Amino acid sequence: MLLVVEIAAFSLRSPAFLSAGNISNLLAFTPELGMITLGMTLLMTAGEFDLSVGSVFGFAPIIMWTLYNTHIAPLEVGFVVALLFAVIVGLANGWFVTYLKIPSFLVTLGMLLVVRGIALYVTDGFPQRTWTADAPLMKIVVGEFAIGDLYIYASLLWFILFAIILGYVLTESKAGNWIQAAGGNPEAARARGVRVTYTKIALFILTAVLSAYAGITSSIRVSAANPNSGTGYELEVIAMVVIGGTALTGGRGTIIGTVIGVLILRTMRNGIVLIGVPGLAYNIFVGGIILAMMALHSWLERRHHAGT
Amino acid sequence: MPEELVRMDRINKFFGRVQALNDVTLSVNRNEIVGLLGDNGAGKSTLIKILSGALPADSGDIFVHGNRVKIRNTTDAMALGIETIYQDSALISQLSIARNLFLGREPLKSPRFFDRLDQDTMNEVARKLLKQVGIKKEIPPTTPISALSGGERQAVAIARAMHFESELIILDEPTNNLGVEETQGVLRFVRGARDSGHSCILIAHNIYHVFQVVDRIIVLRRGKTVADDIDPKRTTIEAVESIITGMPISA
Ligand SMILES: Nc1ncnc2c1ncn2[C@@H]1O[C@H](COP(=O)(O)OP(=O)(O)O)[C@@H](O)[C@H]1O
Ligand SMILES: [Mg+2]
Repeated sequence: MLLVVEIAAFSLRSPAFLSAGNISNLLAFTPELGMITLGMTLLMTAGEFDLSVGSVFGFAPIIMWTLYNTHIAPLEVGFVVALLFAVIVGLANGWFVTYLKIPSFLVTLGMLLVVRGIALYVTDGFPQRTWTADAPLMKIVVGEFAIGDLYIYASLLWFILFAIILGYVLTESKAGNWIQAAGGNPEAARARGVRVTYTKIALFILTAVLSAYAGITSSIRVSAANPNSGTGYELEVIAMVVIGGTALTGGRGTIIGTVIGVLILRTMRNGIVLIGVPGLAYNIFVGGIILAMMALHSWLERRHHAGT
Repeated sequence: MPEELVRMDRINKFFGRVQALNDVTLSVNRNEIVGLLGDNGAGKSTLIKILSGALPADSGDIFVHGNRVKIRNTTDAMALGIETIYQDSALISQLSIARNLFLGREPLKSPRFFDRLDQDTMNEVARKLLKQVGIKKEIPPTTPISALSGGERQAVAIARAMHFESELIILDEPTNNLGVEETQGVLRFVRGARDSGHSCILIAHNIYHVFQVVDRIIVLRRGKTVADDIDPKRTTIEAVESIITGMPISA
């Protein structure tokens, strides 16, 4: 609902908002953040979250392109190595959180710094060149095609596919039942034979891999792998997921809500700039929306309890 | 000769230097309702947690149908037909009734596609079970637990134990926080359990409730079994109270 109002308002204020060029623009970047939010939604539903997504987003493409540029490995191998790196990051996050019982805030904050630090250290802070070569891998990940005036990247299709699969997993599958149970009441879930630890570790890995994949997508699209890219994404991603209705405390979350949350924040950022509000004011709106959403949630909850 | 279902033999359990259980032996026969009594801190919860796989024993053996078994976790216990219902009934409040009933033992549907849940079956079975445990209101099985009353939640936990054909259902203070009506519902269930072929261990603060429904009473005091064969039909509440506290009946 909010999304519709927002789109209507922006289109009225600025006709450029609905132009094909602008929509292409919007749809080019949205899937990259969007993929991270999908993993984060499942992870937060299971009662954890991950602040290291932005760092992984930045570092994974550096691994891939460094291996390729230094002729150590072909692009495809670099791609696989980068994803394997993400698996290790996810595994480490999950292990610290579940076995050492350290809150995910601290674990993934540490991981954020470690991974970003490595990225800056190995590159001396300089971006890696990426080739505009026509490797088939690059075509598959972000190939561009036009529908009329609209330029669409393959990454949008991947995002939609991932969203459908993960949405299905969350609501229709046994894994989804376990994810919600693990976040809702881990002790009770464990008592029913739900493998809570395993579920959480798997979700940390999924989130890291999606972040790496999103980072690689981004590096191909903008033709550069910058060790600083993805800085601050973790909070924007969490904001999108929370606006989409997922509880920060776990147990409740939906993929469709998250997709709407992503669209709300992306169109807002885009629209604000187009209607001439300085882009720097964007955070005011994001913060405002989050506070309003939380107030609405708590109000609905209280009213619900009063009614029963 | 009654057939022995479960036997816990010389169980010991320490928490640091506190000995919570000291050579405790407990047995339950088929179709028998056993009341487990004892003062606060006597070790009742610890004992049944060991039987339900929530805690490991330091020493001692457990037999089910005469075979020695290892119960390492709650899944092992459930596989042996031992189901426990705790005070807080251990449900996931965000999940629906049906999803709670089948949590950990979800029915799946083919084509499997990442283990697809058979939600039709889940909802249908849930609806039937809710009727069986005496919820008269028409509550849809997709209702989240958070929308239910305390008694309804307990009923869901009991329904779960019944459905999975547990041979032994353990209830640890199941009537705490329940209203009068709801308490009667739970007691009725315990009484009925025998007829449907289940055995029960009932722990409750209220001795009157225990007297109403059980076949035999076992008393723990400071981690030791002080009585294991009290017939509630042939003794008085005062006599049992004195065994629990270890003090002579005050006249
Ligand atoms: N997790 C634990 N850690 C330390 N001591 C415990 C723990 N659980 C129980 N105890 C101790 O073990 C004894 C028995 O407790 P419990 O089995 O809960 O008694 P009951 O259920 O009969 O009231 C008590 O002295 C209690 O303090
Ligand atoms: Mg107790």
